[in-house]
Amino acid sequence: MAAADSTEKPFVLIETSDGIEIRVDREVAERSVLIKNLLEDLGPEAAEQGAIPIPNVNEAVMRKVLEWCEQHKKDPPAAADDDADNRKKTTDIDEWDQKFMQVDQEMLFEIILAANYLDIKALLDVGCKTVANMIKGKSPDEIRKTFNIQNDFTPEEEDQIRRENEWAEDR
Amino acid sequence: MAQPIRRANSGTFVGAPSFLASMRCASFKVDEGYSEDTRSQSENDILMRSDSRLEEMTEADGQVLPDWLLSMNEADRSEFTYMILRTLRTSSIASIVDRLNPLLHLDPVLHLPPEVTSIIFSYLTPDTLLKTSALSKSWRGRALDSQLWRLLFRLEGWTADPAKMRAFEDEERLRRSGLRDRKSRVRFADRGTERFRSKKRAYDSGKSRDGPTPMTVEEPDITMGWAEQHGKVEADESLNNSPDRMQDVSFESDHIPMPAASTPLEPPVKPSLLLDDSSDNPRINWHYLYKQKRRLEDNWNAGRFKNFQFPNPDYPQEAHTECVYTIQYSGKHLVSGSRDKSVRIWNMETQRLTRPPLLGHSASVLCLQFDDSPQEDVVISGGSDCHIIVWRFSTGKLLKKLSRAHSESVLNLRFDENYLISCSKDKSIKVWNRKQLLPTDPCYPIVTTAASAHFPQHIISMDQVPDLQRNHIEPLPEYSLIMTLQGHTAAVNAIQIYDKQIVSASGDRSVKVWDVRTGKCLKTFQGHTKGIACVQFDGRRIVSGSSDESVRIFDQSTGAEVACLNGHKNLVRTVQASFGDFPGNEEELEAEARKVDREFFEARDRGMLGEDSLSRDRRRMRNAGSKDPKDIFAYGAKLPPGGGGSRWARIVSGSYDESVIVWKKDAESGNWVVSKILLQNEAVRSAGDRPRNRPTQQHQQAHNHPHGQTGQQNQQQQQQQGGAQNAGNAHNAVNQLVAVQANFQALAAQAHAQVAHAQMLAQQAQALHQQANNAQAAQAAQAAASNNQNAPHGLAATNAAPNNATNRPTAHQSSTQHAPGQGQSSGQPSSQAQHSHSQSQTQAQATQNQSHNAPGTASAAASNNAPANAPAPQAQPHHHHHNHNHAHGHGHNHHHHHHHPLGPLGVQQGTNSRVFKLQFDARRIICCSQDPTIVGWDFADGDADIISASQFFGELQ
Repeated sequence: MAAADSTEKPFVLIETSDGIEIRVDREVAERSVLIKNLLEDLGPEAAEQGAIPIPNVNEAVMRKVLEWCEQHKKDPPAAADDDADNRKKTTDIDEWDQKFMQVDQEMLFEIILAANYLDIKALLDVGCKTVANMIKGKSPDEIRKTFNIQNDFTPEEEDQIRRENEWAEDR
Repeated sequence: MAQPIRRANSGTFVGAPSFLASMRCASFKVDEGYSEDTRSQSENDILMRSDSRLEEMTEADGQVLPDWLLSMNEADRSEFTYMILRTLRTSSIASIVDRLNPLLHLDPVLHLPPEVTSIIFSYLTPDTLLKTSALSKSWRGRALDSQLWRLLFRLEGWTADPAKMRAFEDEERLRRSGLRDRKSRVRFADRGTERFRSKKRAYDSGKSRDGPTPMTVEEPDITMGWAEQHGKVEADESLNNSPDRMQDVSFESDHIPMPAASTPLEPPVKPSLLLDDSSDNPRINWHYLYKQKRRLEDNWNAGRFKNFQFPNPDYPQEAHTECVYTIQYSGKHLVSGSRDKSVRIWNMETQRLTRPPLLGHSASVLCLQFDDSPQEDVVISGGSDCHIIVWRFSTGKLLKKLSRAHSESVLNLRFDENYLISCSKDKSIKVWNRKQLLPTDPCYPIVTTAASAHFPQHIISMDQVPDLQRNHIEPLPEYSLIMTLQGHTAAVNAIQIYDKQIVSASGDRSVKVWDVRTGKCLKTFQGHTKGIACVQFDGRRIVSGSSDESVRIFDQSTGAEVACLNGHKNLVRTVQASFGDFPGNEEELEAEARKVDREFFEARDRGMLGEDSLSRDRRRMRNAGSKDPKDIFAYGAKLPPGGGGSRWARIVSGSYDESVIVWKKDAESGNWVVSKILLQNEAVRSAGDRPRNRPTQQHQQAHNHPHGQTGQQNQQQQQQQGGAQNAGNAHNAVNQLVAVQANFQALAAQAHAQVAHAQMLAQQAQALHQQANNAQAAQAAQAAASNNQNAPHGLAATNAAPNNATNRPTAHQSSTQHAPGQGQSSGQPSSQAQHSHSQSQTQAQATQNQSHNAPGTASAAASNNAPANAPAPQAQPHHHHHNHNHAHGHGHNHHHHHHHPLGPLGVQQGTNSRVFKLQFDARRIICCSQDPTIVGWDFADGDADIISASQFFGELQ
């Protein structure tokens, strides 16, 4: 592709697992800490020389991830890990993200895996919150249905576990 | 690239589907299956998972899809499938949809790695998480991951002691390796078995590397398989499998857990303290800690506890012989200081003295702090003899005596690594260095001209030292006075030191914050309407208890009062708070405070708060933590109403109303509410204290004060006491009381004990009630007057009054025999005095119950109810300064306590158990009181699991 015009925003090329090259603003791509670190390690000229291979993410998922990155490119950088771990966890998701996450479960998991691989913590968290929200407030049977979980406990085991877990019930 | 191509395909598809062409061309021969090579380039965009799914399906069904079909790209294949489906009857389609439905629902535990599911699970509440642990074996493994529960534990605001946990794990590791060494020697004979074991260990450690959880559903079967074999092969050696398989074993167990076959679940149904991990690396299971902590909290909320006491009921001779003013405890030890002038060190486990009492004070021990760590190994105590004494904890040796450290009673002291801070009835606070100090040391005082600080001559400023002399400065010896802080206008009752700041609470109704290096008074908090008796500072909040009967919480940074807890019916003498903060929630609290402020202003702007919303009445009622704009009376605080903290936040306060109140935050409103009221005297009873000299059957329940009782007189008294308690009727009690009076000796003792108690209480609390403008002369006059009135009451009977004067010296005599450490011998008059005193109180209580329970009831009412029992419950604070029952001419060394205010303390209430000091930790409350017996409430309630987990629960903050 043509070298970036000086007036143009810097961009990078990403090559997905299925061999597709995607051109994306560098600012957007750098929501991924993995890509950001790669670019820093390779130096500025490397980005123009060739596509960055991302062998674990296919095109469909990558486009979805980049859509999210585009939307969130102005977000402040995530707080340090330790801090975030110490906060009370809320599963609130903002509206845009909620809509964004309205995909089939396969895609949802693919996005989560990609966010994990690309090191986009905020996206990983949104994905995980989405799954958590699919669990919350449901009966065990509803959760099993939601995720096609095979109950491999014997009735006795199930009973034992249920009785054991009584301590956590709010009294 | 692919995208355009695909689009072209689907475009052409509408008219002439491309797959039709390939269908036509393709040979329909049944292939041996598809191979990667035959796939088109464009098929690479199919997810790997889809591919494998395709593969599974084709193979599982025993049918193979034709090559030509497989060579189509996804879009074409999908369109083709659709066309086929459209040829089917609706019922067939429905059944296909049913069959397909599960495919749309993927199990995250099977599709996502543990590090990702642990993030998902971290968003779930513990109860939801436990629910998921019952979904399937693989979910169970992930949901019960120890690290996940560690996070949940921390997010509750709970703390654990990492050093203790590590030490425990290390010890266990050593123990296991010792076991293994023994074992391998035994094993040497059987190589086959040894090989089998090594294989298993490799399997186990591999598992632990992947995370603690089985990754596939088959695994539990494998586990079960080898568990069975395990049993067979190693049945002859009971020892050897425990290091590898700790499931369901309590930590101290050397034995095999339950037979594996009966507990195939992994992790086991009940979490155990140690994870069933590889033998080389025992780890404490956070799921277990979380569960036990939660069960412990449930016990607190439900009021399930077991009482215990110091002394151990089997060793009554170890008891203090008079009331106990101060205690502190750590995990292993409790140290107490008493009016009997002794400091005693107790073993927490056995409730026994670890050594003979520490003697050195010449009057009551009022305050102390200790540190039993090997680095510090120190007890420091202060008393009404004005001395401060430094003891070696481990030996009981008196190391240093700071004679006349203050000019009046040392009411409280605290130390940290560098400083010892003391405060006194003399209105001053003094700072002492705990280590040798050079002017160049960072702890050395910075001499300022602050009016509040006075530096002794030996404190110098380096600037004023000529260069040549600088190298010749001698270090200041340890425990030198380095600063005196002045500013309070009444006795300083309590102090705290926290991170270079001293917080002091005074009878002048203020709390002050001081800089420990410059002596500057940084802040003064007002809010209590009477003197302040106790204070706690955690860096953000100041929690104080006062003679105005309230506990209040102030925001340290802004001085705003964020809560006022009303519930006690008398002076709040001791308080401890634990807010359950977790690291980094300051901003959260502040944000919450801002939000409440905003809502307050919005409500005000909308006119929702009437003119009177902050009227005097409302202000007086105060706010126990509500966020309702109508309840807000302070804004701009960095803390939300109530002071913030987790839902496990807890405050425990002890009062002269003889109760201990456990406060918690109401889940709905955030208000501090009374969770439990605990009574000291009930605790003594249920702690197993009993009369040494078993009286007749009917007195079983009447044994408040058994110490050192012997002889017929005591028996008689017990009978009377028992009678009074059983009666439940004021008149009976009065009759009993009259009966008691026959015994002059007992009366004298009673009189003394009561007066003595009044004195020691006076000495403690005098300043609390001091009106800011009270003139000493007027006080003294009042004291004399009220003494005349009260003295006969003090004897609790009219016919005893004439004997009053003559009996007193007798009583006093018996008191002077109270040499510390002597009180144990059972027949001593002093013990009797103590006992009979308590009896009269118990009886008084019986008669006064009705009036006592109604706050604000006029004292006259009580007197009317029990005319013969004249002492009225004059604890109502507004009467305090009129009630002086100081015994004049008593020749005691408490001469500086005359204008003591607290009314006829010895008689106004029945159970003789005004609470002086309490401390609580995750598991226990321990308090000392007028009663020589120190009592505790253990909320582990005898549960072995809670007890074993509790050793790792951190100190509360």
